[in-house]
Amino acid sequence: MTEQPINDLERGLIAAGRAFSYPATPDIARAVTRRLGAHPARRPTRSPARRLAWALVVVIVLLAGLLAVPPVRAQILEFLQIGVIHIFLTQPTPTATIPPASTPESVVIASPAISKISPTPVRTATETTPSATPRPSPTPIASLLDLTGETTLAKALDSASFPILLPAYPPDLGLPEQVFLQDMQGQALVLVWLDPADPLRIRLSLHQYVGKDNLTGLKYSPPVVQETSVNGRPAVWTEGPYLLKLTNGDYELVRLIEGHVLIWAQDDITYRLESDLPLAEAVRIAESLQPLPTPTP
Amino acid sequence: MNETELIDRARQGDGAAWEILMRAHQEAAYRLAYLLLGDAAQAEDVAQEAFVRAYQALQRFDPARPFRPWLLSIAANLARNQLRAFGRYLAAIRRLVQAESSPVESVEGRAAQSWEAQTLWQAVRQLDFADQQVIYYRYFLDLPVEETAQALNVAEGTVKSRLHRAMNRLRTVIEQHYPSLQEGREA
Repeated sequence: MTEQPINDLERGLIAAGRAFSYPATPDIARAVTRRLGAHPARRPTRSPARRLAWALVVVIVLLAGLLAVPPVRAQILEFLQIGVIHIFLTQPTPTATIPPASTPESVVIASPAISKISPTPVRTATETTPSATPRPSPTPIASLLDLTGETTLAKALDSASFPILLPAYPPDLGLPEQVFLQDMQGQALVLVWLDPADPLRIRLSLHQYVGKDNLTGLKYSPPVVQETSVNGRPAVWTEGPYLLKLTNGDYELVRLIEGHVLIWAQDDITYRLESDLPLAEAVRIAESLQPLPTPTP
Repeated sequence: MNETELIDRARQGDGAAWEILMRAHQEAAYRLAYLLLGDAAQAEDVAQEAFVRAYQALQRFDPARPFRPWLLSIAANLARNQLRAFGRYLAAIRRLVQAESSPVESVEGRAAQSWEAQTLWQAVRQLDFADQQVIYYRYFLDLPVEETAQALNVAEGTVKSRLHRAMNRLRTVIEQHYPSLQEGREA
């Protein structure tokens, strides 16, 4: 540093910084290289088949948001329906309260980032977690910003088969920065608002889905599951971190959900709001949804 | 080959160039994550994820900008998200640890300098995330003001004012919870 320390505390911090005993830095470069592939080439343009496959995975992820699980009072959950979606659930893994380190399931992370980079079919948790030492779930949530079907809000308004609703609350929210419209046996819309102070961070995302798909083979163990209501209709609130394992037969995706998710259905559309906000705020946003008055270019 | 060239090559898909960049900055990313999270395993994961995210965003990165602050900002954001997710647990654990072990007790068997560094770190960890960030950048990772400003995405003047406020708050924390540190400096 070029500046001179101006007081004892600064001197102490500088000395602390120099004397600090860090753990030895692991070979992160090697691990990342392995994650990205032996030769991390520039992200390739996806083939139509691959794009289709990825879109399918995305739909599955969206379906994941349609889960509603009663408080973990039953050992076996059989069947669940929210909106138009039928979801079969397997027995939930034991739910941990604290600390997260004691939750083996939360350790079993098939890295979402890997899934995002290379959405390989049938990626199982055990295949991707060689570590023998249970550790807290570390891997941040996969970014939503790599979805296929990116479009503009105006185009989405033109082509969506259902009315697109936007939150009027909070007042400073504005229009979504990212819009994704999928058309896989029904349309799925993902609206993303970024954190103004941090464009790498998603402030909140709103998923709107119309479809008739079935999803099978799902396990997860959210630390918090709470029944609530949106506009007087049943809704479910979950708080991460928890693990989603999803499959529709050909594809399996394991994803760590870190945020808070509110799920509800209205007029044959199922909504999923993911954020880091508390329940009351999320419900307030959900209940503020309203059609956009005029299409925005 | 300088960093700009390495970034340029990495953007073209040159894995070797990307690896050189990673090796040049992995220690800083890991250390920042460790300071923020206080857990080696989580720090390793966050540092890895930061590089993955950086790689994915490399096409949008301006190679004229320095790489390190950008990478560190990604790592810090990931660490912050991690802390948000586990914030309740960490807060509970932190309170427990603080209540059960006084800094004085951990003096035994440790070199005074190392003890002070560790204890000061514990004091810094009582601050909010933004305060911790600016202190770690400046004093633990030894980033110049310019790079700190880039990592925080603020003006250089803002770094100084944030640092000033963070130091005041740290001083209060030390006075209230770590008086032995104060005595050490006064001695």
